[in-house]
Amino acid sequence: MNPESQMEEALCLAALSLPVPLRAQFLDQTCAGDARLRAAVAEVLLAHADAEKFFERGGAAVNVPELDAQAAGLLKEAESEIQLDDLTDEQLGSRVGRYQLLQKIGEGGCGVVYLAEQDKPVRRQVALKVIKLGMDTKSVIARFEAERQALALMDHPNIARVFDAGATEAGRPFFVMELVRGPRITQYCDEHNLDTVQRLKLFIQVCRAIQHAHQKGIIHRDIKPSNILVTLQDGVPVPKVIDFGIAKATEGRLTDHGSFTVVDQFVGTPAYMSPEQADISGMDVDTRSDIYSLGVLLYELLTGKTPFDTKMLVESGLDEMRRTLREKEPQLPSTMITSLRQTELTITAGQRHAEPPKLVSQLKGDLDWIVMKALDKDRNHRYETANGLALDIQRYLDCEPVVARPPSRPYRFKKLVRRNKVVFAAGGVVALALLIGLGLSTWFFFREREARLREREARERETVLLAKAEDRSKITQAVMLVGQGKFEEAAEILDEVKYFPASPTLDSVSALRSVGEWLALQERWPQAAERYFALVKIDQLGNNIQIYLDYLACGVVLAANGDAKAYGEFLNLAVANFSRSQNDTVFYACLLRPLNPAQIQALKPMAATLERRFPTLPKNIVTVWNQLPLCLWHYRCGDYGAAIEWSQREVPFKGRFPPGVADWYLIRAMSLYRLGQLDEACSELAQGRQLVEAKLQGSLDRGRPDVGNWDDWIFASILLKEATALVDCKSAEPATGG
Amino acid sequence: MSDITLVLESVRRGERQATEELFPLVYEELRRLAAMRMAKEVAGHTLQPTALVHEAWMQLVGDGHRTWENRAHFFGAAADAMRRILIDNARRKAALKRGGGQQFRVGLEALELTAATPDEHVLLIDEALNWLATEDPEKARIVSLKFFGGLTNDEVAETMGIGLRTVVRQWVYAKVKLFRWISLQNR
Repeated sequence: MNPESQMEEALCLAALSLPVPLRAQFLDQTCAGDARLRAAVAEVLLAHADAEKFFERGGAAVNVPELDAQAAGLLKEAESEIQLDDLTDEQLGSRVGRYQLLQKIGEGGCGVVYLAEQDKPVRRQVALKVIKLGMDTKSVIARFEAERQALALMDHPNIARVFDAGATEAGRPFFVMELVRGPRITQYCDEHNLDTVQRLKLFIQVCRAIQHAHQKGIIHRDIKPSNILVTLQDGVPVPKVIDFGIAKATEGRLTDHGSFTVVDQFVGTPAYMSPEQADISGMDVDTRSDIYSLGVLLYELLTGKTPFDTKMLVESGLDEMRRTLREKEPQLPSTMITSLRQTELTITAGQRHAEPPKLVSQLKGDLDWIVMKALDKDRNHRYETANGLALDIQRYLDCEPVVARPPSRPYRFKKLVRRNKVVFAAGGVVALALLIGLGLSTWFFFREREARLREREARERETVLLAKAEDRSKITQAVMLVGQGKFEEAAEILDEVKYFPASPTLDSVSALRSVGEWLALQERWPQAAERYFALVKIDQLGNNIQIYLDYLACGVVLAANGDAKAYGEFLNLAVANFSRSQNDTVFYACLLRPLNPAQIQALKPMAATLERRFPTLPKNIVTVWNQLPLCLWHYRCGDYGAAIEWSQREVPFKGRFPPGVADWYLIRAMSLYRLGQLDEACSELAQGRQLVEAKLQGSLDRGRPDVGNWDDWIFASILLKEATALVDCKSAEPATGG
Repeated sequence: MSDITLVLESVRRGERQATEELFPLVYEELRRLAAMRMAKEVAGHTLQPTALVHEAWMQLVGDGHRTWENRAHFFGAAADAMRRILIDNARRKAALKRGGGQQFRVGLEALELTAATPDEHVLLIDEALNWLATEDPEKARIVSLKFFGGLTNDEVAETMGIGLRTVVRQWVYAKVKLFRWISLQNR
């Protein structure tokens, strides 16, 4: 490429990253005095939108997932113009999957929402949201699918269900949700002049909904007024949280290095974003981010403002925005109210059915602290759960002490007075207090102790739930790290995980496997053993080859680690899950160590099935895979003659699988030794040893399925160790018996 | 264990040339998969390169074998194979649509760009890509991998050993260049 066109290209790309109105000015400045260059660049820019359309249309023929997130960010301006036109009217009345679009009911930053009708399996109206930005449809849907199981578990009156996801014909992702009609929560409260107490009661319901989701391991990530709508059910306002699972599915892929600036332009809503979401890494998001966003929502419900002004945040630029969210303390809600201009204050107070001074005094104190605790920059200081936040508000409504402030004596006393107004109002009746003083304080004491006990129990339960949610996010992190090839870090994070989800995503299973394998290749057996054991415990979704291979690797790693107890547990698990199926690989993995009588008994049905099936096997490498386990099985049962007999069966492809050949020699060596044939045993042992040692001289590699994976070779080396300890080739006297 | 793993292995060890060796193997598998797909679905079908290429990878190489060098070689060959399949397919469909056995020729004077069918778009892009390959081979490669191979930006970056941002920028610019060339040719 010549320097001229290089210049042209650089200028074009720079111009494209600018908003449309600024481009002309940009070109004027950069091409000053070079009319030819300016004309050339302008021409390319002009062709750009058409080019995109052209490729999109061509893409429809090959169905390439059009434009992924990065390109989309780069072309945000031009892009959204094109797509808006494409999307609005032409699709009305048309079908998207099995849904018929009836009417456009909303449009937001990231998508257009349609009223749509589904006819199968039930006829119902739904909300269908088409994601507007040019995102990589496939990965959006894949990420949604990963969450789908968890989403299906959510069942709460204040949560709108997400039914389905898919791709439109133009290749854009769409989501289908329960149809919720109603204004956003802030709008509803203002229009109906709800007072502070009514607002708090609605808000508590929102907290409970979020709590429910957190218990199912789902983080919303995008809590804001437009995602919480209020509908009337039998005349009662019911808040509904929508868009669960969508923020996660549509957020930019943060694994891609160097693309943050582009991606984070459209992830999240700045005013509602927690400091950790705004953070450059952006990955470390957990349930407490939602608590922060709830805090912002509460702030807005109470004061009509968000803690930081959205417009200011956006205009200050990305770095400044991050700094604000990370470092700047917001004003107390009551302070925010007092700093409003007079007219604004009157309106805000009026919408809350209160006089300005009353509103300020309502907010001052408890509500200030509750909001600030939810908004703490350090998530460790926020409410640990949404329920905790709801409980504290409930305490405020019940005039009980809130936990949001470190309780001081006068504060508690103030509350006590208010709670027991009658007793204290009869202030003059000191005598009464004196008379029953002792009884009363004892009563208070017990009541308080009981409350504390109940609270501690609840807290402990919540701690487990929180730990589970945290573990989920740790697993997600590990998945990302594995994707980046950072196995060491992934292994460290997985070490901290206590609870593995019962129904994990495919991603997390494969991350667990990759990390286990990586640890095994470095012969870090204890850690590898933990990873693999966790893997087979959750890996029970069906019968496929991968699961058999996981069992084999797990058995090998546990045996290599030399932990007889863990290996015994593994064997029980294998028997429990595979006693009926005919799997040679799993069976073989159970024979790595000597068996006790109970274990022999447990494995017998598997052995019998495999033995019965042997003559019917197709004539291929599979026969070898059945011969070896049956040899070793008879050896483990003490039937050495049968072991030798099985080893002598003629099978096709004998010798084609090197670690299998080594196993064959070693099993024979041990059996022959037991039968008193020392010379023969020593010769077989020598052959087996040679094969294993030649392979395992250097560092362990992953291997190949056709010539032996790493675990096949470790299997052989474990047998070699056992055989070496048993067969004493130096002594002339062979031992007899078992 | 299939031949392809052995080829990949020897490619990785530097014993053989990557694409020439791989192409026929990958092409056959992709064609088989595409044919199955087409047989199952009704008219108006599309071939999804991403799905096909990844499926071919699973079929031919399996999951156990995940070294990046191998994937890069494989994807390179797969994008070429996929391009040929898509072009063949588009030619056939375009010819059918234009009523009769005659082959669709890219660059017909009568062809209005805006009126062209998606399949014709593909043919035009293919032709323009041949031009770009002589002009700016790196960009042409990116387009081929992304458009015909259905690879993500990450995979393209990985396959070509270049930065992700470079991929994104080159892809944007390449599209404009191709489009302008096509417009000039069909003016």
